[in-house]
Amino acid sequence: MDDADTRPADTRLDVEEHDTPAEVDAAFRTLRRVAVWHFVLFLAAVLGVPALSLTLGWWSGARIDGGMSPGFAMAAFGLYVFFLAVGLAAATLSSAVEARMLGGAHDEGDDRPEPQDTP
Amino acid sequence: MRSGSVLLAGGIAVTWVVVYLVTQVIVDPPLGVGTTVVAGAVASIAVVLGYPSALRGPRSATALRRGPEPRRGTRSIVAGRTMPLRSGLTADAARRTADLLRPLLGGDAVAITDTERILAFVGPGEDHHRAGGPVRASVTLKAIASGRTATSRSTAELGCGEPDCPLAGAVAAPLMVADRVVGALVVLRTGPEPAGRGQVEDMAGILSLHLELAEADRERELAADARLHALRAQINPHFLFNVLNTIASKSRTDPEEARALLLRLSDFFRYAVRQDGQLAEFAQEYFFVRTYLTLEQARFGDRLRVRYDIDPQVLTAHVPVLTIQPLVENAVKHGLADKVDGGTVTLRARVDPLTRTTSIRVSDDGVGMAPEVLERLDGPHLTAIPDGGRKGKAGGGERDRARDHEPGDGDGTDGGRAHHLHTGVGLRNISQRLTSLFGERFSLDVRSTPHEGTVVDLRVPLR
Repeated sequence: MDDADTRPADTRLDVEEHDTPAEVDAAFRTLRRVAVWHFVLFLAAVLGVPALSLTLGWWSGARIDGGMSPGFAMAAFGLYVFFLAVGLAAATLSSAVEARMLGGAHDEGDDRPEPQDTP
Repeated sequence: MRSGSVLLAGGIAVTWVVVYLVTQVIVDPPLGVGTTVVAGAVASIAVVLGYPSALRGPRSATALRRGPEPRRGTRSIVAGRTMPLRSGLTADAARRTADLLRPLLGGDAVAITDTERILAFVGPGEDHHRAGGPVRASVTLKAIASGRTATSRSTAELGCGEPDCPLAGAVAAPLMVADRVVGALVVLRTGPEPAGRGQVEDMAGILSLHLELAEADRERELAADARLHALRAQINPHFLFNVLNTIASKSRTDPEEARALLLRLSDFFRYAVRQDGQLAEFAQEYFFVRTYLTLEQARFGDRLRVRYDIDPQVLTAHVPVLTIQPLVENAVKHGLADKVDGGTVTLRARVDPLTRTTSIRVSDDGVGMAPEVLERLDGPHLTAIPDGGRKGKAGGGERDRARDHEPGDGDGTDGGRAHHLHTGVGLRNISQRLTSLFGERFSLDVRSTPHEGTVVDLRVPLR
């Protein structure tokens, strides 16, 4: 079968395309799943620091560089780094999910106009 | 898959190193052994569970269409895919094979030819016995013509016009694919005594076997491509007629929707004809399915409801091309089209990180399939199970639900009788393509209950 694209390059601009409710619903549920998992990670980190302080003596008693305890270092630096990483990962993944689940075809050059046959 | 396992093993090793450094070196006093082990175990579990997630970065596209690369530097001649000629009788493969064989065959020079040209020449005399030149040696021509091993003890029989050519003795053994001579293996010596005839014959036999395997591989690839082309070519005109009729009817009442549907129809055909490889990103297949279902929803209206349940990790996984849409189409065509109230088609896609499997489930709550239809579908790689072991009577819509798969053949009315005659042709096509792609490492299960619906489960290795 000939794969020549006879569609004019700017045709898509004339028509407002919209996703169907089922497609939007699917994207929403997938993004919700991403959000829930990242929230679980966030919550585990936030609750983990006091939990370790209560259960492990070395968490507060041990000393690392600068005389800081591991718990102090985690509260001062580690959590922020972790939040940054989780936030970036969530944002990147969510964008990727949305791009792949909504809208038109995503393969490169899909909308490139191809040479028209000369009559 | 092998490189993924190495990566995972490396990740776990690094995790344990980090745990050790943190618990035994950085902190003062060091932690107890129990605490260290627990921390390491928790971290390892987190790495294993999180490994296949989207956080690990993009997958290599080149590794997806081919198997693992052969290891370089392997000296194994006989076995496996390390043999260069395993990929066919090419100049490059011949050159590498000649390099490998020269120290093994007791000759000073080794040449490999096809029926007309010298593909490779390694050893003394390669300055004038050049690769790419015509085969002139009468001993080689004799072997090619007769299909038997030929021996020469003089320079004259080598057809060499160079007076200083050091070569004299030669043994030429034909390379055969089936009963056809495709070339020759020539072992030459500087003295008049040729190399061991039996040894050269045995090696030529082994090379012939590899060439036959290469040809079988090519034929298998061609067959897989042919199945894909067949599936693509089966787009039924009825589907096109019905969609165009729907668009024509909407062009008066809702011109904007009609134009949007035309674009979707264009997307549908564009995707179907542009798929060259055997695997595609799930997101692309998902787009194809969405496009198809949008067109069908325009026809069926509220009778066709759709639910997608997609795991975020599965979007970047690679799945066999044009496989999911036919399953969805069957659910619409055979499951819901005959049901007055319509129903819901559900597409569920998951990735199992531990077994490295992509699972795709297409289910409907339509009329289901009769047990005898399921029995006809049952095959070596296709499991068809009556759900709950119920026996339904073959009547009404059930009887006709031999679930053929023809892309776009979504006609539930006029074309219906024609495709009731098919019995799972498309399913077999899919099953055969999956077999050629994954061997035994996939499963395709069909479960159905009359009047309640059908579930098709497809599990393929995560790529």
